[in-house]
Amino acid sequence: MKDLGLTYTTSIDKKPTLKARLKTLGRGKKHTRIVRALNDVSIDVHYGTVLGIIGSNGAGKSSLMRVISGIVPPTQGRVEVYGSVSTLLALGVGFNPSMTGRDNVYLGGLAAGMTREEIDASFDSIAEFSELGESIDAPMRTYSSGMYARLAFSVAAVVEPDILIIDEALSTGDAKFKEKSLNRIKELRTADRALILVSHALATIEDICNEVIWLNMGKLMMRGNPSEVIAAYREFVDARKSASSDEDV
Amino acid sequence: MEKPVVVYEPFRAGLPPMREYMRSLWSRRTFIAEFSRSELREQNYGSVFGQLWLVLNPLLLSGVYFLLIYVIGGSSDSTRFGHLTASLFLFYLIANSLTGGVKAITSGQRLILNTSFPRIMLPISATVIALFKFVPTFIVFGIIHAVIGLPYSWQMLWAVPILLIAMIMALGMAILISCINVYFRDISSMLPYLTRSLLYLSPILYEATSVSDRIRTLEIANPIFYLLDSWSRVVVHAQAPSMNGLIHASVWALFIFLTGTYFFLSRERDFAVRL
Repeated sequence: MKDLGLTYTTSIDKKPTLKARLKTLGRGKKHTRIVRALNDVSIDVHYGTVLGIIGSNGAGKSSLMRVISGIVPPTQGRVEVYGSVSTLLALGVGFNPSMTGRDNVYLGGLAAGMTREEIDASFDSIAEFSELGESIDAPMRTYSSGMYARLAFSVAAVVEPDILIIDEALSTGDAKFKEKSLNRIKELRTADRALILVSHALATIEDICNEVIWLNMGKLMMRGNPSEVIAAYREFVDARKSASSDEDV
Repeated sequence: MEKPVVVYEPFRAGLPPMREYMRSLWSRRTFIAEFSRSELREQNYGSVFGQLWLVLNPLLLSGVYFLLIYVIGGSSDSTRFGHLTASLFLFYLIANSLTGGVKAITSGQRLILNTSFPRIMLPISATVIALFKFVPTFIVFGIIHAVIGLPYSWQMLWAVPILLIAMIMALGMAILISCINVYFRDISSMLPYLTRSLLYLSPILYEATSVSDRIRTLEIANPIFYLLDSWSRVVVHAQAPSMNGLIHASVWALFIFLTGTYFFLSRERDFAVRL
């Protein structure tokens, strides 16, 4: 069991940008709005941890993922990563719809940082996992969205990094495939790997994770064992809900 | 700790750690090739002629320009046609690299927002695509060269270093313009006019020798003028290029490549936020 994961602190001060959400304002005109996507968040994740991240929309979950994976640089603080990171923030990144499923397995795998030999070796298991059968040689533009997502997840699932970051990628396909991908993620939980999981599916988080953090408005609200944090989060959401329904009356 | 440590810190101007960057870029070379191949296939997808279109397109273009020269100039010969095709094909290597490069970053949004990789890969693949498009035209020129009976000599080996300079130039331009387009999106709309002007200002429809001395001096500001002139001398006339021309082309190519790469590398961490 390796002992280290990562430490991470950030907060945004006066700098106009740290969020893709700013893109609508960006465009060279005024950069007057400041979005504090993350505010003094410090966490450390050790190998063997399955960390769930919960929070409402705009809480900074995706920002946190992007900073950890090095896509967006932090405006303050520091991220230290020990080991190889693979991100699964969106499905089918790098796929080209006019190519066949087979070609896209290679394209997607290479985009995820695998080598051609690695993909060769695991191609059969990818194809089998995706349950596409013959369709794997058909162009991807002929796929249904479920088939597309299945292939995308299958490619992502064979990558075996030290640190895997998954952002709501589980909610794809039908119930059967969903369960299958969930099982695959459970398989990936080993002592020498860290998993970070973002999801709105609280039951899933509670089931898979052994630690949960709750973000709200870019701030770390709570961290601890899954059932406690989720209970607190539920209470918080319910409280807000009842407050707003009171207003309506 | 045996495992490599990656540290992400607040972004400041300046280059990222170069050794690590180059290593990560090198490890992704198969992706660059595969990505370019798929883009290329997508561009030709659905057309009747498919791959053949890569050859037909420049050939038809040179036919049209040949017609133009004939109508305006009144006369033309086979050497002229050879010069036109050779220069036009090399020009398209650079122009395609520019048009492919300009949207390399902005259209790679999904990739950039969801994966961490050296962003410079995207303009590099734009240049690789332009190169893929250039290779068949080069073969076509070889055939034309033989058919219209242009001379051969050992001096033609100069084509190799000239092509190398052209590739550095094309790559530098793709990198530079892809970066500029992140900050000023209008560049992609301006680009057709830019390449068109470059086409007319360079010795393609005419030969460099037919231009007055004054204009030739002004053409120092045109990065590809002496590059195309040297190219035509070597592959059409089978003569040695002028040293001044080669130096001019190399200096421009290196200048564009180095400034472009510097700008790109020092800004690329900012791209994800800007898209």
